[in-house]
Amino acid sequence: MNDFFNELIEGKIDFEGQKLVENITKIALTVICIVSFVLGFGLQSLKVTFGALSLGSLVVFLVVVPQWPAYTRHPVQWLPVKQPTKLS
Amino acid sequence: MHSIYARINNFSAFLSSCILTLLGAIALSSFLFTANPQGDLSVLSVKVYPGNSRRQPGLSQEYTFVNFNISADLTPLFHWNTKQLFLYLQAEYTDAKGVRNDVVIWDRIVRRKEEAVINVVGRNKYVFRDISHSFKNVPPANYSLQYNLMPHVGVLTYGEAGRTTEPVPFPPAQDFVSR
Repeated sequence: MNDFFNELIEGKIDFEGQKLVENITKIALTVICIVSFVLGFGLQSLKVTFGALSLGSLVVFLVVVPQWPAYTRHPVQWLPVKQPTKLS
Repeated sequence: MHSIYARINNFSAFLSSCILTLLGAIALSSFLFTANPQGDLSVLSVKVYPGNSRRQPGLSQEYTFVNFNISADLTPLFHWNTKQLFLYLQAEYTDAKGVRNDVVIWDRIVRRKEEAVINVVGRNKYVFRDISHSFKNVPPANYSLQYNLMPHVGVLTYGEAGRTTEPVPFPPAQDFVSR
């Protein structure tokens, strides 16, 4: 039981998932930033800008941080364990 | 491999760079707004009276009282990055010794766009006196309506929204307060 919770909190993902997560973070946050600037400039309101930014980044946070199954699809294939040869 | 803490760190680091860039862009964007509204400022009357201040009871000095009329529409100054406006009326004169003085005699803080249409008939809010205690031989003064635009992010900008068309002379001091 304890191991299960530890695993959940640690939330390790594989290398492919890691790459995907980094790309998603960078692209999504940049786009959200630009969109919120344009929205706020258009509507002449800083409230809109920071509302859009915080909503958007909350969504990105939920997409990126938990250990979603999509990020654990390519587990590392380890080499088979070699049987130690018996010394005679 | 990436744990949850690494991802939180990654996310928040990039988010803070994004926020800083956004704030920079907002600060720069306020240079695009170059509205320079002009209002009317007229000085209705200037009177000089002798008097004593409570702080220096033994000293008789001259006080100037200015009645003025301001009508200005400053709503164009309110854009998305305007926090508030600090408006002030300034008397500009060169004293008898040839030193230039700028004295703030009235001010107002405008916090909202709805309050930015200014129609004031008033008298100086702050004491207007000279360091030499006298306005004798002081050349005529100009009065101007200045503002500070305080942004949410970025630089404080200064501007002038009105000025008297010609200098207003200081009258000779009256002997007593007449009603």
